Amino acid sequence: MKEVIELQYEIEQWLYHEAHLLDNLLFDDWLELFDEDCRYRMPLRVNLQEKDVPDFTDDTLLFDDDMETLTLRVDRLKTDLAWAETPPSRTRRNVGNVRIQEYNENQVTVKSNLLLYRSRSTEIGAELVSGERTDRLVKRSGKWRLQERTFIADQTTLGTRNLAIFV
Amino acid sequence: MTLSIIDTGKFPRLEDMTKSELIQHLKETVKPEEGIIPAYIFSHPKVYELEMEKIFLKSWLFLAHKSEIPNKGDFVTRQMGEHSVIVTHGSDGDIHVLLNVCTHRGMKLCRMDHGNEKSFVCPYHGFNFKNTGDLAGVPFQKEVYGDTLDKSKMGLKEIRHDEYAGLIFATFNEEAVPLDEYLGDIKWYLDLAFNRAEMEVQGPPMKWVVNASWKLGSDNTISDSYHTLVSHGSIAKLGLVPSGDYSKYGYQIYTGNGHGLNLGMPNPHFAFPEELTEEYKERLSPEQWGVLEKLKNMIVCVSPHMMILISSMDFKGKQVSNTSFRLWQPKGPDKIEITQWQIVEKNATKEWKELSNQTNSLTFGASGIFEQDDSENWTDITQNSKGAYHLQENTFFNYTQGMHKKPVDDFVGPGIAYENKFNEANARAFFRNWLDQVTAE
Repeated sequence: MKEVIELQYEIEQWLYHEAHLLDNLLFDDWLELFDEDCRYRMPLRVNLQEKDVPDFTDDTLLFDDDMETLTLRVDRLKTDLAWAETPPSRTRRNVGNVRIQEYNENQVTVKSNLLLYRSRSTEIGAELVSGERTDRLVKRSGKWRLQERTFIADQTTLGTRNLAIFV
Repeated sequence: MTLSIIDTGKFPRLEDMTKSELIQHLKETVKPEEGIIPAYIFSHPKVYELEMEKIFLKSWLFLAHKSEIPNKGDFVTRQMGEHSVIVTHGSDGDIHVLLNVCTHRGMKLCRMDHGNEKSFVCPYHGFNFKNTGDLAGVPFQKEVYGDTLDKSKMGLKEIRHDEYAGLIFATFNEEAVPLDEYLGDIKWYLDLAFNRAEMEVQGPPMKWVVNASWKLGSDNTISDSYHTLVSHGSIAKLGLVPSGDYSKYGYQIYTGNGHGLNLGMPNPHFAFPEELTEEYKERLSPEQWGVLEKLKNMIVCVSPHMMILISSMDFKGKQVSNTSFRLWQPKGPDKIEITQWQIVEKNATKEWKELSNQTNSLTFGASGIFEQDDSENWTDITQNSKGAYHLQENTFFNYTQGMHKKPVDDFVGPGIAYENKFNEANARAFFRNWLDQVTAE
């Protein structure tokens, strides 16, 4: 039991730290949290009649990234021509309901909820992105690295002008 | 001859104008041939109302690609102007476009994005409609209606539709010219995107909302390669394209009825799967193949609000193209729901399909690194176009670029072609077409 509680704590702290890095625009540090061989994907949520099948589809991916493309996105944000984030959005990631699905010494699969508040420029209307993450973390040299993230938003039509932010 | 409201110096309060006064005001203030496009047309609710009536009730509107509904019973729900419609592959084998409104009491019949159904049952009272639109069943019909209800007159409203190159269009206008004629010469270019090979849509469209005028999407699509220099300057900095002015090489072409494109060429590399060369050659004319062979990118506007895009980039050591299409779906004077589909050669390798889809997600779509900066421009322009001062001063934006240029006569494709994509000729033509539509009697 003690072992499980410790792991839960460790993973929660990892997720909070990640949120801190993103909210504070520390993208290079954020990239270091990833495993070299990573996938970062956002399938599309859809409205379906059937209740016994997943209400999302992998056929359409709003993010379909690996280390190379994530690095490109971060490098772009660092140019002085990344207008979508000039000035940067204020973002606040609330990560909760952390549920470890499977684990062993070197690998953890964890689900968590994300409520991301985004404030652009002087606009007072909140842009919210809410959804569920499924993450697979692997241990490399004693540190947890994100090997796979799948984020599924709760909206079928996104209520934010773009995904110039990370989920 | 009465003085125009601008000449009288009176404040043009659009809300107080009759429809004919509003039309008169538009005729006097929008001057596409002079490159004069007033701010208020990008956000004023009265102009939007007129557009819904004069454009979205009258034009052919794109709804779906046939490969989205390959089997009998398949359906997708789509937006047609202000109205929800169900596009079905009926049990009779035909495509149907049905108004998504129960003919009994107006409930939205189908609330799903897509699926496969033989019939649609209204959640309110259970009226049951076949996927062909016919009313099949009414609960307790005998008891509650006796013999007075004629089911054959209560089918779902079927909307006039037609297709080209797998693209299903519909129109609320029974008087509209046939789709073939409406599209005209733009078909030559649609072939490059949709007929070059057997093409297959890659999943349902992604949708997201941007607080912007739908016209900014179309105007950018039809004419604006110039913005890539700065708006998309980050892409050149990252080395995904060779240089900032890369996007000027090619042609800007107008084919009529508000349709046109920017065609980027030449491309030193072939941006499509080599192994499909025979299929391309077989399906395209030699002239079309000649263009595809050297194609860098193609950005097509099918009026009023559809965009088709072929884009290519250096990705993971090779030249990769992706093909997508979208709607700038109006959701109000200052709001659009961007709806974007990806499409790929059915006979391409799995590896190519993945690479192509990945480059599309990376560059266009909600998270696209090209796309992001566009949404910023259109949001702020739409916001900036509002307000009393602009009405009083008749603030207008400058669309005069390229007025000194003459079209070329040696381009192989149809339409009025200008060499060099940096030009606002197509935007002027688009707004001329728009003005003719909104001011039509």
